[in-house]
Amino acid sequence: MIGLPFQVHAGLIGTDQVVTAEQALAAREMVNSVVSRAEVASQLQALGLSPESARDRVAALTDSEVAKLAGQIQSMPAGADGTGPVLLILIGVLIWWLVKK
Amino acid sequence: MTKEARGHAGFFVATAAALLLGGCMSLPQTEALRATPPTGLPPRVELERVPFFQQDDFLCGPATLAMVLTAAGKPSSVESLTPLVYLPGRHGSLQAEMMGATRRAGLVAYPLAPHMEALMRELAAGRPAIVLLNLSFRLAPVWHYAVVVGYDQDIGKFIVRSGRKPRDEWSYAFLEFLWKDSGYWALLALPPGELPATAREAEFAAAVAALEQAGGRREARESYRALLGRWPQNLIGLFGLGNVEYTLGDLAAAESAFRRATAAHPQSGPAWNNLAHVLAQRGRLAEAEAAARKAIELGGPTLAEANKTLESILARRPGGAATSR
Repeated sequence: MIGLPFQVHAGLIGTDQVVTAEQALAAREMVNSVVSRAEVASQLQALGLSPESARDRVAALTDSEVAKLAGQIQSMPAGADGTGPVLLILIGVLIWWLVKK
Repeated sequence: MTKEARGHAGFFVATAAALLLGGCMSLPQTEALRATPPTGLPPRVELERVPFFQQDDFLCGPATLAMVLTAAGKPSSVESLTPLVYLPGRHGSLQAEMMGATRRAGLVAYPLAPHMEALMRELAAGRPAIVLLNLSFRLAPVWHYAVVVGYDQDIGKFIVRSGRKPRDEWSYAFLEFLWKDSGYWALLALPPGELPATAREAEFAAAVAALEQAGGRREARESYRALLGRWPQNLIGLFGLGNVEYTLGDLAAAESAFRRATAAHPQSGPAWNNLAHVLAQRGRLAEAEAAARKAIELGGPTLAEANKTLESILARRPGGAATSR
């Protein structure tokens, strides 16, 4: 059937499949688990990770997370900037400057 | 500037500001908190023991994770976490990967209910949370992670560690303004065996299963037991417990868990399948066969697996291979 890479013991159904069923997620996500993981790993590689690192990081994600990431990595939020609400301040300054004139 | 020009400029600025701010000036959670302060909470909480790790550019993911993982008993650093969560091509860290890295540290990554009140309850229970913020406009977001370590109801503020500031105070309104665009996303990192104060059954069960799936089997076992302590019939809990007990070598415990699963969820094909498998491993082939047939009868997406289970059982039964299906 669907060979799940983390199904270490042949014959036992993995817990993640039951989670997927419980959450009534699309059947597509279950069926394409292996393919999606490989896809996302290669997308992560394209964004600067080594193959091993990409594989290890994908292995820590659920089927559902992998399905949501596939093809979406460029647009998902990536928390980064800690230098303060920079743009808000800039806009505030701009407005203040315009009004002061 | 002439009075007329100033008037025009003012109108332009006001319109531009309104458009740019995307109409997100309504702050429903702040209003609700002010109208009805939460009951049963201490007036102020500050988790001083949560360490601060300063972030360099783009590394708020590893920095906030280091704070929260260390607070949860897994000492970490920005350096150790950067390779697990930072994505160079995005100059930042994805939410799912923040959860994955939490699991790799042997902790349950629990997505908090998207409410300031839930945040306050977890803080009161001693748990800091990572929040995802938009520091800019919805149309051109600048995403950022910060750690919330306390609140003060008397002055209406949250206490945060963010960027280069180990301690900042943000009004409810300011936090909500920054937090709205992420859908009020917040993450808890829970030690094995611990339930969040605001635990919701389905979300917690899925979070423990995710820890199991990421390889944290011993830790997941403890957390499944905690889940079942509170929700004894939860299918993911019973099924997942069976799987981890099996993987950890305790077949008796695995059998017990799968039996409980089939008793509480007689329509679950996977539960019957895995029970059959464990019974076969324990040499109880007649019972195993009965359970496998039950799984097949129930059908569903795991039918092929159930058929394989039955085949392997029948192959082991003396003279059983010829039994009709």
